[in-house]
Amino acid sequence: MQFQSFDESYVERLRAGDFRTQEHFVVYFSELIQLKLRSRLHSPQAIEDVRQETFVRVFTTLRSDRSIRQPERLGAFVNSTCNNVLLEYYRSSSRHSSLEDEEEKDVPAVVVDFVGAVAAKQMEEKVREILAELPEKDRRILREVFLEERDKDDICRDFGVDRDYLRVLLHRAKQSFKALYLKQMGPPPPGAGPAGKV
Amino acid sequence: MDHDEAIRQKAPEKYLLDELDPGIREQFEEHLFQCQDCALDVRATATFIEQSKIILAEKPVEVQARAAAPASSGWLAWFRPAIAAPVFAMLLIVVAYQNLVTVPHLSQAANTPHLLTATSINLMTYGSNPSPVSVHAGTGFLLNVIVPPGAHFSSYKADLFNPAGGVELSLAIPTSAEDTWPIEVPAAERQSGTYKLVVHGIAADGKEVEVGRSSFELQVQK
Repeated sequence: MQFQSFDESYVERLRAGDFRTQEHFVVYFSELIQLKLRSRLHSPQAIEDVRQETFVRVFTTLRSDRSIRQPERLGAFVNSTCNNVLLEYYRSSSRHSSLEDEEEKDVPAVVVDFVGAVAAKQMEEKVREILAELPEKDRRILREVFLEERDKDDICRDFGVDRDYLRVLLHRAKQSFKALYLKQMGPPPPGAGPAGKV
Repeated sequence: MDHDEAIRQKAPEKYLLDELDPGIREQFEEHLFQCQDCALDVRATATFIEQSKIILAEKPVEVQARAAAPASSGWLAWFRPAIAAPVFAMLLIVVAYQNLVTVPHLSQAANTPHLLTATSINLMTYGSNPSPVSVHAGTGFLLNVIVPPGAHFSSYKADLFNPAGGVELSLAIPTSAEDTWPIEVPAAERQSGTYKLVVHGIAADGKEVEVGRSSFELQVQK
């Protein structure tokens, strides 16, 4: 499987303020940042604060003279920036105003609506179809893992399965869902993947 | 962590199940932010999980009602063309192979004369048979079992025990005037070691009486 990366032209468009590229960038990394933070921060507001501050710093750096030396490591830069913001958040968690008092930067005003209404409906139907095709036992396992959030060892013991069973169950469900998800997400803008590689 | 390692470790699934150790999680996140394939995997799975939570939280009857339709077809679902056709195709291939290859080969092997390694087992003596039996792996051998004279039983039972103590074979032998029984031990994968033959006479009332036992060394050549 070919390694995919963001390239120099993509970064240049970000620096230049190209709206489509900025929109893709924020949507793409917002989801990853939220997944990263949900296991570390329990407050949705805190997650949102860190997410926004991460983008503030990333855009500030991109538009400065420093920028980033290796455009292909844009993702790593976003990740490390998020780590730094998170660390500062931990340190100053008692001082709630530490992030709010920051001077407002020019962050793209993108409303992060990951999925349009129609696409959301189609994905809901697909997930419903996948769940309906699962044996009752597997549906119950998914309910107890993700909805009831029971201890996974307890779930495995009760259902007579091991941890790998959970992973394979999730993997197979994802494989069934992924094609529709990819179609709904649409192709990346030019320069952000193999479809648009210059 | 590179992409192959992430897939090999099922890192995307473990990440969303919160099963990664902190150090591994950080390594995977560093890779995740760089790799669009893994990012797609994780995002798709996360979306699936979020949707599943909504659907699974609905009243159970709604999910079960949808599931009832396919469940009621049960074993009949196996006869759907999408399943039955490839299954029958496979069965035809297996039958054809057995008829054209396996059976003729076995038939030829069965009809071809060949020498059997043989040894004598004397139940009238104590201890083990001094001569080891040497056979090629997967082949049978012959035991010429010498029985004590004078015993009168309605039938006999010979049990061959392998080195692990399990019964390798059990043979019912009708009453016989012969004092030597040629017992062919069929071809099979066996291990080297000490094998033990125990013969019981079965009286008219069904009681079993040990007639004799002896052991021998089997050497399997690979």
